[in-house]
Amino acid sequence: MPEASKMKKPDVKLVLLGDMNVGKTSLLHRYTDRKFKDTVSTVGGAFFLKQWGPYNISIWDTAGREQFHGLGSMYCRGASAVILTYDVTNWQSLAELEERFLSLTDTASHDCIFAIVGNKVDLTDPKAQLSQDSSGVSEDQTEHEEERTEPQVLSSCPTPPASPASLSGITVHKQVAHEDAMALYGRILRYKGLEEKSSLPAERMCFETSAKTGYNVDALFETLFDLVLPSILRKRNENQQCPTIDLEECRGASSKRARFCC
Amino acid sequence: MAFLRQLDSSSKACQLAVVPSAVLCAVFSDAFVEMSVKAFELVPAVERDLLMGDKARINIECIECCGKHLYVGTNDCFIHHFLLDEVTSSKGKLSYSAQKLLHKYLGLKKPVAELRAASALERLIVLCDGIVFLIDMVTLETVPSAAGGGAKIRGVTAFCINENPVNGDPFCVEMCVLSSKRRTVQIYMVYEDRVQLVKEVSTPEQPCAVSLDGYFLCLALATQYMILNYNSGASQDLFPYNSEERRPILKRIGREEFLLAAPGGLGMFANAEGVSQRAPVNWSEGVIGAAVCFPYVVALDENFITIHSMLDQQLKQTLSFRDGHILQDFEGKVILASTKAVYVLVPLPLERQIQDLLASHRVEEALTLTEGAQRNIPKDKFQVLHKRILQQVGFIQFSQLQFREAREHFRKGQLDVRELISLYPLLLPASSSFTRCHPPLHEFADLNHLAQGDQEKVLLYKNFLISYLGEVRNTEVVNVCREDVDTALLKLYAEQDHESLLDLLASDNTCLLTDSIPWLEKYHKYFALGLLYHYNGQDSAALQLWIRLADGDLQDSTRTDLFEYIVDFLSSCSNLDLVWTYADWALLKDPTIGMHIFTKRPLSKDVSQLNPDDVITYLGKHSQALLLYLEYLVLERRIQKEKFHTHLAVLYLERVLSLQSQSPTDEAQLTTARERLQALLRESNLYLVQLLLDKMENCEQLLLERATLYGKLEEHERALHILVHQLRDFRSAEAFCLWASSCRDSAYRQQLFHLLLGVYLDGSHRGQSHAVAAGGSGELEMAAVDLLNRHGEVFDAISVLRLLPESWSLQLLRPFLGRAVRASMHACRTSQIALGLAHSENLQLLHDRLKERKKQILVSEKKGCHLCHNTFSEPDVVCLPGAVPVHTHCVAHRVRDSPTKRLLTNSSNHT
Ligand SMILES: Nc1nc2c(ncn2[C@@H]2O[C@H](COP(=O)(O)OP(=O)(O)O)[C@@H](O)[C@H]2O)c(=O)[nH]1
Ligand SMILES: [Mg+2]
Repeated sequence: MPEASKMKKPDVKLVLLGDMNVGKTSLLHRYTDRKFKDTVSTVGGAFFLKQWGPYNISIWDTAGREQFHGLGSMYCRGASAVILTYDVTNWQSLAELEERFLSLTDTASHDCIFAIVGNKVDLTDPKAQLSQDSSGVSEDQTEHEEERTEPQVLSSCPTPPASPASLSGITVHKQVAHEDAMALYGRILRYKGLEEKSSLPAERMCFETSAKTGYNVDALFETLFDLVLPSILRKRNENQQCPTIDLEECRGASSKRARFCC
Repeated sequence: MAFLRQLDSSSKACQLAVVPSAVLCAVFSDAFVEMSVKAFELVPAVERDLLMGDKARINIECIECCGKHLYVGTNDCFIHHFLLDEVTSSKGKLSYSAQKLLHKYLGLKKPVAELRAASALERLIVLCDGIVFLIDMVTLETVPSAAGGGAKIRGVTAFCINENPVNGDPFCVEMCVLSSKRRTVQIYMVYEDRVQLVKEVSTPEQPCAVSLDGYFLCLALATQYMILNYNSGASQDLFPYNSEERRPILKRIGREEFLLAAPGGLGMFANAEGVSQRAPVNWSEGVIGAAVCFPYVVALDENFITIHSMLDQQLKQTLSFRDGHILQDFEGKVILASTKAVYVLVPLPLERQIQDLLASHRVEEALTLTEGAQRNIPKDKFQVLHKRILQQVGFIQFSQLQFREAREHFRKGQLDVRELISLYPLLLPASSSFTRCHPPLHEFADLNHLAQGDQEKVLLYKNFLISYLGEVRNTEVVNVCREDVDTALLKLYAEQDHESLLDLLASDNTCLLTDSIPWLEKYHKYFALGLLYHYNGQDSAALQLWIRLADGDLQDSTRTDLFEYIVDFLSSCSNLDLVWTYADWALLKDPTIGMHIFTKRPLSKDVSQLNPDDVITYLGKHSQALLLYLEYLVLERRIQKEKFHTHLAVLYLERVLSLQSQSPTDEAQLTTARERLQALLRESNLYLVQLLLDKMENCEQLLLERATLYGKLEEHERALHILVHQLRDFRSAEAFCLWASSCRDSAYRQQLFHLLLGVYLDGSHRGQSHAVAAGGSGELEMAAVDLLNRHGEVFDAISVLRLLPESWSLQLLRPFLGRAVRASMHACRTSQIALGLAHSENLQLLHDRLKERKKQILVSEKKGCHLCHNTFSEPDVVCLPGAVPVHTHCVAHRVRDSPTKRLLTNSSNHT
């Protein structure tokens, strides 16, 4: 195969991880296409290249199915950010993050940052039912979202069960509270052997989103892009430090480095 | 013979009975071709007859292709050598003709497991019965071992060749070997007559398949894939894979990049660092071979060849292929084998694939495929292709009323807009040389074909063209066809009654007259047509048309103020002949507005100017207009020419006279007429006074006017006599004095006021002595007192006092006297102050001078004078305060213009 057909190397990689059906593909769609549409179960993985200023960011969407589990660490290899996604209406999906997905991130970059994202919050929180899609018209405002006025802000309530979903149409239980996600974030830091104090705070890295209404979706991706910028600059710097590359040397070195980081 | 038919992926599930293929194709092609691309064609290369005839148990085990040479290894330990020729039929159809050169029994009674050509060495590397050995490419004879070492390796399960060798020797091939016993990988150098072990590395598990690139070994172990750098020993786990369950596939697809069979029937990409840089493709579980033929991944399972695009991961084509056994690519050529025959998978030309996609309106995929091919096509060729595809995509979207997308693609593809315009009947000018490009960019005849008679759609299409042309008409794209574009736009605007028609015609445009005239007439856009004539320098035609319109001979409601427009047009029309021709019409229709032709003419140099004399002569027959014109010249433009002033004064006078002669007289009109006359007489200095006086000779009523005229002649006594004695209008007399002295010095004014005072006092003496009408003299006396009290400052108080009768009381003249005393006091004090100031200034200067005299002043040729900034050429200088040397002439100059000096001159006046 001609070398020319090789792809332009992205500057940085973001990976979406999480159980199947939590809405990873939908989140990526919402962000890139500004739409919420029917997804088919992701096979293997897919990715999208985002131009962020002068940088190319690749965002990998992975398959949550057990079958493709082994590939997860491939996708995570060298990743600068991992988005651990769960479904707020499904307690198990949060538990899976810790049990199945966290270990996949061992191959990620040593300064990888983690975000925990509770998706489908439109089903449980009225405030997420308002479209936040900054691009304005979202084609599929299927339900009655438009006319609804902003309801009172929800009081933060402790554990899974009681979410005062008082609005009509909301019947789904919020099984995962924001605090649960933040607690998981703390455990992830511990798993990684990171100091809580010197890491990004949980309040900043735990998101609740809705791919359906667009709630918090731009904020999620754009926060992460901003946070990985230093990582891009560092990589560029590394490349600049050895402007003439001895190919033979580098081959050996790069795979060594990769092993080191894990 | 294998049963092959091209099928769509969706039909993959249904098991097809063996029916004559032509029938099925007819049934399926329409329904399914929509979803697929024809990217490849399967062409037979070596048919069964040529290989094994009717020997049913003989199967193909491996193949190798090297240029035109095809080698086939069979299960009966034979190697067959064919020469494969490409034949292109007259219809452009490709086929292969295979010519058998040789076959050779290897003598091991085992299947030939693998064959690899090392063409530089003219050797085939053969794996058979666990032994790797070399045979001659031409004779197929086994190469005997050289003296220095063996040409055989035993206990081999698999081997591969390094396509990215690290050794620079062209007569040496790098080979990697998996051995059946130990968990090791061996690297050999293969020479013409020997093989040499250069490296041995151990692996954590038994490897069962290998691929090599540079120092990187990509290995399939029992439970996972891994990358191993045999030089450094560094390893990188890729992902788990159960090699016992499913045959692993690892295929080098480029520098340090591999394609691997992954769990769940995926084709995964991985580079040497263990990173996936492309999204995986979704194969079936039973894939037995795969290759990349950019931008496609081709894979083979038991029944089908599947073709996925690496650009969007989508399955693009499925070909039925039974008994599929081998799929390999050799120098870009993809070759397949069933157990009995060999085929070549020939890629269809990219353009053809793209056109197929476009034909089924799959624009996204067509664009992805085009853009994905960018790196594989020379730049200029790619640009041509890309533009064309963008344009075609644009037309497809256009036909689907997706105007936003269409516009974008037309723009990016730099569409010749005439392609678009030509879809709209009659829009392109008859003279346009345009012909649609060939092959055509779309399949549509015209708008009627597109809209199928749906008038709403027609309107949408037209509106799109309006906005599109409006957008591109100022860009470079339309450089070659500006006339066509503007003319089309004009036609659309006219037809759609669009407001921008006038803007188009009023600004720079290249609308063609011949096409536009009948079109504008058809849609009754006469006003616009006039603009077009005007833009093309045919003002006469424009005016004729507009005048017919203004007179109601033609109908077009574009402008309700058309008459004003025409007048305005004439007022700035540079063709004076036209002005003279049409001024009559305008003046007859409405003289006040019509007059604007002459009076509103811009005075800039660009507009040719009318000679006022000509206008006056011309206006002779339009008396009202003439008056207006003279007023314009005299009052508005303030032209200082006796002729106009006199003429205007005479006309005013004539009007007054004619109003006076009417009975009953219209007082209001008369008053205004007189006021105008009086104002002119007062304010103008140019008219012939005597002429007017003569004309007023017999009018007793115009006394005020006559007084003014006498004033002009400086016959002030006569004037004041009229005012005081005939009109007895003391206010006017006073006003006369002010007016007549308004541009003179105070002495002149004083003289006039004294004159008036004299007239009053004389009259009163005469009145007393002759005892004329009672109260008459008293009245004049009172006028005199009023005059003094009101304008005391003008008079010379002392001479006034001498004039006044003794009998007048002091009380009567109190305001006058009070003011006179105060004024004299004020003058005295002011002059004292001025004197003091001058004295102190003098002292100050004296002091400065004494000070400066002591200092040295450096004057050199290099130093400049502070006043004129020129250098000094002689030693004589004047020194300003602060030791600033300046030229003597400069200082003289300055003193002359200095504000102090001026102040002093002024104040001396007051003293
Ligand atoms: N109500 C709601 N449904 C969602 C949301 N995001 C995804 N879904 C639905 O969840 C299902 C799984 O989504 P998908 O994106 O395929 O999940 P993935 O397997 O994680 O990629 C689909 O039916 C989506 O329509 C969300 O924010 N709100
Ligand atoms: Mg998905």
